[in-house]
Amino acid sequence: MSRDITTSVLANTDLGNGNWLLEFGSPELASGMRPAQFFMIGIPGAATLLRRPYSVCGLPGTFEDRPDGAVQVLYKVVGHGTGLLSSLAPGAPLTVLGPLGNGFTPPDDPEVTPLFVAGGIGSAPFPALAASYEGRFPKPVMIYGARGAGDLALSDWFGERTEMDISTDDGSVGHHGRLTDPLIARLDREPQRKFKMYVCGPEPMLEAVGKIAVQRGIPCELSLEAHMACGFGVCLGCVVPVRRADETTGYDRVCMEGPVMSADRMAW
Amino acid sequence: MSKPDLSVDLGSLKLRNPILTASGTFGYGLEFEPYLKLSELGGFVTKGLSPKPREGNPPPRIVETPAGMLNTIGLQNVGVDAFIEEKLPLLRERDTAVIANVFGEAEAGYVEVCQKLEQAGGIAAIELNVSCPNTEEGGMIFGNDASALAKVTAASRAATSLPLIVKLSPNVTDIRVTARAAVEAGADMLSLVNTFVGMAMDVERRRPVLKNISGGLSGPAIRPLAVWLTWQVAQAVDVPLIGMGGIASAEDAIEFLLAGATAVQIGTSNFVHPDGSIRILRELESWMEARNISSVKELIGAALPPRREVSS
Repeated sequence: MSRDITTSVLANTDLGNGNWLLEFGSPELASGMRPAQFFMIGIPGAATLLRRPYSVCGLPGTFEDRPDGAVQVLYKVVGHGTGLLSSLAPGAPLTVLGPLGNGFTPPDDPEVTPLFVAGGIGSAPFPALAASYEGRFPKPVMIYGARGAGDLALSDWFGERTEMDISTDDGSVGHHGRLTDPLIARLDREPQRKFKMYVCGPEPMLEAVGKIAVQRGIPCELSLEAHMACGFGVCLGCVVPVRRADETTGYDRVCMEGPVMSADRMAW
Repeated sequence: MSKPDLSVDLGSLKLRNPILTASGTFGYGLEFEPYLKLSELGGFVTKGLSPKPREGNPPPRIVETPAGMLNTIGLQNVGVDAFIEEKLPLLRERDTAVIANVFGEAEAGYVEVCQKLEQAGGIAAIELNVSCPNTEEGGMIFGNDASALAKVTAASRAATSLPLIVKLSPNVTDIRVTARAAVEAGADMLSLVNTFVGMAMDVERRRPVLKNISGGLSGPAIRPLAVWLTWQVAQAVDVPLIGMGGIASAEDAIEFLLAGATAVQIGTSNFVHPDGSIRILRELESWMEARNISSVKELIGAALPPRREVSS
């Protein structure tokens, strides 16, 4: 069950290029939490009114060198709220509501290879996911794309735990171009291999990758992002258009019916 | 000293305390049960209920603004029938005043929803949503025109014997005109205010942030505006008022009480802290204790000038 607690920053690490890893102590929120679930995090006394949603990046055990009971969120400084978050030193108070949302679900067959597709800071939920699938499924494949080499947060960590194909918009490392190129190449190269895709990143990329998965009949879960005021289902601000079972379209809440939604339900 | 008396009377509607939660910020109440006990609240107001389910407006629907937020949800709701079937049986067991916010698109819709809710049983009062700025079919069209407001209020009045609250729009030239029209048409009390129409631009894309272009502004930014409107309406009509607009602390709530409100609704603050309404209630109680105020009724309208008898 979700709870609203006040805790404090344990560590706030600059990973370069505006990417940060925030760590806070929260054994009670972390227990039973699933990868791609999220927290609403607020800074007491901040000039911003609403809390902001952050996907859980590391659960207890994900990063072996981190203290017991700590959790991590990976974030990129994009505006006022994240700018303020990056200014926090260890000991600074945080209000944290969570865990929220549904989270990724494992493949239903141990032979299926998890295929992670991450765009930029969309890599946030994958450390917890990689750690929770380790030893249960084949080594994951990861298609990781970003603007440039400096934007590939935690790429060393992922490199040790996944078969990783990198792409960058500026060509500074890996394939020069969009991540859909190495994704399609990988799927064409191994047509017999059974994959389940897990995708997180900017909306145009989710749409492009989701369509590839649907066309090829590959099970695919998208972790969506949206502006939200509450995070627990009441503001109705975070909706996305989806196809319902009766073929009509309607709106589902990213915070409750998501943030993970099956690609074949999206009404792009 | 004994605990202060927090109970208030809104005509025939008796509340254990003056803290309600506002429509559109509290779902159907049940969503908040992980964080608070509904029975501790004076009551709560449901999301606006329409005759049929509504999917609402296309996203983006919300954006944060200085000390507030704009929303254009478009009254997405399950519809009155699903509410009665799925939510109300659970709410009847909760020992709290369930106030149903009613939205009809047209006059007949308001009547239909009022009748269905009264027949269902378990509703403490009806709040007419005649002030939603985000729907084309009705809402603010009724709330901004005194004669249209009077008509829909009278029709709803005839459709139910439940206490009838009319929720006023602040997007008018003189709120006392619509306030008087609603009271003369049969409103037992008024709640005020709904959100203020506003907009925000995405300067990089050179477009409005919200897909619907405009939205309703709520949050602490509107509080002084809402207190002023409450103050004015309190001197224009003789029915109980329920004040709201950016309340985030007990002191904020007390401002509305002093301006003439008998109860208050907590809105946007519920998004920030799901138990915010209960925190405000506890703060109010200790604020009164610290000042030896034995009844919250002592605060209601305490700042208003003495009433003058008007001879015509």
